Amino acid sequence: MSVFPWLVAAWLLGIGLYGIITSRHYVHLIGCLSVLQSGTYVLLLGIGYKWGAGPPIFYDHPAGTPAVDPIVQALVLTDIVVGAAVTALLLVIALQVHKRRGSLDPQELRPLRPDN
Amino acid sequence: MTVTWRLGLFAISLAVLVPALWHVAMALPAFGAPTEMYGAAVNAIIPAARHITNMVAAVNFDVRGFDTLGEECILVAAVTGTCVLLRGARGEDLTAEAGHLPDRPHVERSDAVVLVCRIGATVLLLFGVYMALHGTATPGGGFQGGVIAASSLMLIYLGEGYSPWRHVMHSWFLGALEGGGAFIFVAAAAIPLMLGYAVLQNILPYGQPKDLFAGGLMVVANFAVGLSVAGSFGQLMLEFMEETRSPEDDPIPDEED
Repeated sequence: MSVFPWLVAAWLLGIGLYGIITSRHYVHLIGCLSVLQSGTYVLLLGIGYKWGAGPPIFYDHPAGTPAVDPIVQALVLTDIVVGAAVTALLLVIALQVHKRRGSLDPQELRPLRPDN
Repeated sequence: MTVTWRLGLFAISLAVLVPALWHVAMALPAFGAPTEMYGAAVNAIIPAARHITNMVAAVNFDVRGFDTLGEECILVAAVTGTCVLLRGARGEDLTAEAGHLPDRPHVERSDAVVLVCRIGATVLLLFGVYMALHGTATPGGGFQGGVIAASSLMLIYLGEGYSPWRHVMHSWFLGALEGGGAFIFVAAAAIPLMLGYAVLQNILPYGQPKDLFAGGLMVVANFAVGLSVAGSFGQLMLEFMEETRSPEDDPIPDEED
């Protein structure tokens, strides 16, 4: 039971990887990369979780109340924002590839050569 | 390499990866009973030491502030890369129309949609600002508030359509928000350094706990991140929406490569 969250994280990593391997479209591939990345969110939040503890915000309850780990929450927070920006960058690269080559299928896009 | 080959390689790598992951998963501390001291120490020390109540904000802007500075730079770099790649020969032309498929009927928006979107966008923008400003006291912070504020711009687009939206969105303004926020953050890190302290050392008065402006330098950093994230995501939306213009006025530049 206590190993279950780690298996969820591993599962997300696995299906993300499977999606990237079998992908036939770069936008789909970028989505799979986001799935893979969300495995790290589950892992980090799972590591910081504590049974019976509240949020690490001591506004309503006094300091010293049991609270979950704030470090991993901060890591996940910045990870999500930066992940969104990097996803945007990847989508732009996919857009430029489509403009120049007319296709987004990784199978069709052979290594770039100067003649095409 | 075909998909079959890649799947074969994936199966071979899984044969190594699955036992390794299983081994690591069993060796991790049991779920719900963390053993590491770092987070517990932050929860125990920071409320009294920094006079703020949101520990996640304290970690982001004080305990691991230098880390967040790096994340902020990644964000700015990713958005800059997006703009550089997308702009090309597009220019800042405001007369362009949104792209439209010829065989698809053009349906005007109803007044109700426009009204709901205008009200919703205003409320959402205010909520984003509220979320960002209260980041050091209650759940929220610059990152979350910035994203919420930026998404209100999308509601304006939904209600008004491309052309009116494009007329109120100014790239220079969003860029100034983004760069200005990043600059304030860097200044908040560098000024203590120039005064002979450590980077991001909290040299401002901490204020009263549970107050909106408690936390000293953390308030400045939080505000800066909020500005920067709102500007960055607004800029990203603008750049992507520019791609939906009619294709004929958007020629691919002929480059010698």
